[in-house]
Amino acid sequence: MTTTMPAQTMRARGGPLQGVRVVELTKVWAGPYTGKLLAFLGAEVIRVESRSALDSSRWFSEDIDNAPGYQAVNPQKLSVQLDTRTPEGRELMLKLLASADVFIENLRPGAIKRAGLGYEEVRKVNPGLVYVSIGMYGNDGPLAYQSGYAPCFAALGGVSAMVGYEGETPQGMNIRYGDSTTGTCAAFAAVTALRHKRRTGEGQFIDVSAVEALSTMIGDTIMAHAVNGSATPCDGNRHAEMAPHGAYPSRNGEWISIAVNSDQAWKSLARLIGGDALVGDSRFADLPSRQRNLGELERIVEEWTRSRDASELVTSLQSEGIAAAKSLNTIDLVADPDLWGSGYFHSVLDVKGEQRPIMGPSWYMTEPARLMRGSPRLGEDNDYVLGDILGISPSERARLAADGVTV
Amino acid sequence: MTSTNPSALAGLRIVELAEGVAGEFCGKLLSDFGAEVIKIERPCGSPVRRLSPFGRGEAPENSALFAYANTSKRSVVLDLETEAGRSVLEKLLLRADAVVDDHEPGWLARYGIDPAGIPESHPGLVLCSITPFGQDAGETQRHAEDLNVFHASGWGYHTPSGNARGRTPLKGAGRFLASYEAAFDAALCMTAALMDREAGGPGRFIDVSAHRVLYSRLDYVLGQMIIGDMDVSEAHTALDLGGPAAVLPCRDGFVYVWLSDETMWCELRRMIGDAPWMDEDFPPNWLQLACTTDRVNRTRRHLSEWLATQDKHAVSEEAQKRGVMIVPVNNPEDLMASPQYRFREYFHRLEHPVLGEALYPTVPYRMSATPPMPSQPAPLLGGDTQAVVSELGGQA
Repeated sequence: MTTTMPAQTMRARGGPLQGVRVVELTKVWAGPYTGKLLAFLGAEVIRVESRSALDSSRWFSEDIDNAPGYQAVNPQKLSVQLDTRTPEGRELMLKLLASADVFIENLRPGAIKRAGLGYEEVRKVNPGLVYVSIGMYGNDGPLAYQSGYAPCFAALGGVSAMVGYEGETPQGMNIRYGDSTTGTCAAFAAVTALRHKRRTGEGQFIDVSAVEALSTMIGDTIMAHAVNGSATPCDGNRHAEMAPHGAYPSRNGEWISIAVNSDQAWKSLARLIGGDALVGDSRFADLPSRQRNLGELERIVEEWTRSRDASELVTSLQSEGIAAAKSLNTIDLVADPDLWGSGYFHSVLDVKGEQRPIMGPSWYMTEPARLMRGSPRLGEDNDYVLGDILGISPSERARLAADGVTV
Repeated sequence: MTSTNPSALAGLRIVELAEGVAGEFCGKLLSDFGAEVIKIERPCGSPVRRLSPFGRGEAPENSALFAYANTSKRSVVLDLETEAGRSVLEKLLLRADAVVDDHEPGWLARYGIDPAGIPESHPGLVLCSITPFGQDAGETQRHAEDLNVFHASGWGYHTPSGNARGRTPLKGAGRFLASYEAAFDAALCMTAALMDREAGGPGRFIDVSAHRVLYSRLDYVLGQMIIGDMDVSEAHTALDLGGPAAVLPCRDGFVYVWLSDETMWCELRRMIGDAPWMDEDFPPNWLQLACTTDRVNRTRRHLSEWLATQDKHAVSEEAQKRGVMIVPVNNPEDLMASPQYRFREYFHRLEHPVLGEALYPTVPYRMSATPPMPSQPAPLLGGDTQAVVSELGGQA
């Protein structure tokens, strides 16, 4: 098989984290997302994988190297095969970790310790390692044994209870919310720890709780309760400081979002909708009045938007200084002209040696890392990792493969 | 509260020009790690000081939102409309390692900090801008709140999940989710850039768009859709996974139930004692192979009847011990009482001179060597002006 982009070539990837080596033993989304962010900043990120314990997201395709979800969250990374459950595989893993700056794991609670790769074991071979462990509830504590998927994080973290229609059972966020958020929090913590390591040589253990990560996205709501005991029942699209605020139907089943953030913005909207009569309507003169008469206010706005074209509405609202944007469905999202026109998508080499677009980082920066390749084939970088990094001879590598250590 | 732990970002000097939640929260992420963050405020204070929730006391010091997003910072009042104000800012920039801003594109250049000219005007500076749609925002993206970013990135149209009937999409949790998410990307990039600069690397301009942040948070799905590996449509359910997973009511609140395979179905069956309804046209592997709307609805209905006799924490604990994925739908009160949050010390007690004492939510990572911790409450407006100006060798 061809190697699409030699790992050695990628050493000159640039970016602020060039020269940082990250090793990950991660599954599905949250852990891989952490590694992806670090890779997007220029780190060399090595996925340790094995046919005997494959990331389940590789299985959502007949070809494990072409599984679409897997490819989406693992671009720019390297892959080495190591069965860490074999004694030799574990030894090689420790050797690899001895050469690393950061380690990321998000296996099930307790699994990494059972594999003999817990922090206490690993720090013996590399006291400078930044060891990042991601779990639903973190590593320790009375509820750490519990497990769940992203919507469980959202329910536990206080997020789901806040999303719903007034007076109904909470609905929660979209089911996809939670993993990537958690992975981002972990990446930030890891980089702060890297700076400490650079200055002192000292590594550390970072214990990330996905549930707390989601609580952090509603920090002010929790703070409100802490300060004055306020409750936060579902309130549809209401906002304490804005009215109107929400999603409004437009022509052909489309929706737009409108957020009126000042009395001035309301006057501008009122003029568009109903001219001077609505501008002067005392029921909506200031925020408290608009909140009091929200039902009628919403009805008036909806009636106006319903028969109009979403994009035309956004254009006219924006030109009047009113915060508005179309609510994008998945057809709109993949065709977003602003993103395609602004360099957000990057063309990289995929496992077949062909160009494919990937979603780039959320940031643009001067002196960025160069994004060069898509997600790796299983074991694509065995020669580089086992040979160049660990110094294992070709014949010894053949034996390791035959013995089922590097499968 | 004093700490004997070293701080991960000690010695870094950051000037915060931001006046919104996104930039202020980014500054807080850095200041709680020990960076010196000097917050520049206009004479009437950051607009965030006028946002709810409010505790005791009066404006501009009674906003619990401001108190939350500005721990461990210093506040310096400068009128940037005056020559004197801009001159102090310039002195602060000369000794700063980084700047965080969240004003609209063009604002920085008006005050002599043109992102394009930064390498010449302020060599070595790390300048980070957080905006709803980035520096290159188009004409129809100029006015945006978090709600608009939420909808423009795909989350809005698809919230909540299971919205097959096309009801009004919902705003998402809280007021500032997009801002907090963007703040994390900004803090991540700034820290990486600062570390690189300490090793001899260049200053950098970093342009974070909350829109691209939220779009990127959907990478697992959108990354498949952009290359045609997953279908796109006008459905509000296009991001959903299907199945009976849902928030369901119980005796004292709500729980979230996740069911996706045969093992979970069998465990659930054991837990609720072989309920007769589970034998009515439910093949054991129906969750994976025969997940019809009818079965989903019947499952939810019967589970709701069972849950009506259960309490959310007790039933969740019992389920988790059996490997059934049921969790309580927590509210802030539950979080403050959570034994897990207490164990991990997620809340941190701080005494604010006006708001008084309160438990502040902190951050989701426990760190063995450099634990982040709010070192002091949010500053009073201009509380550090005198001290900072005299450090610069001038007079206030």
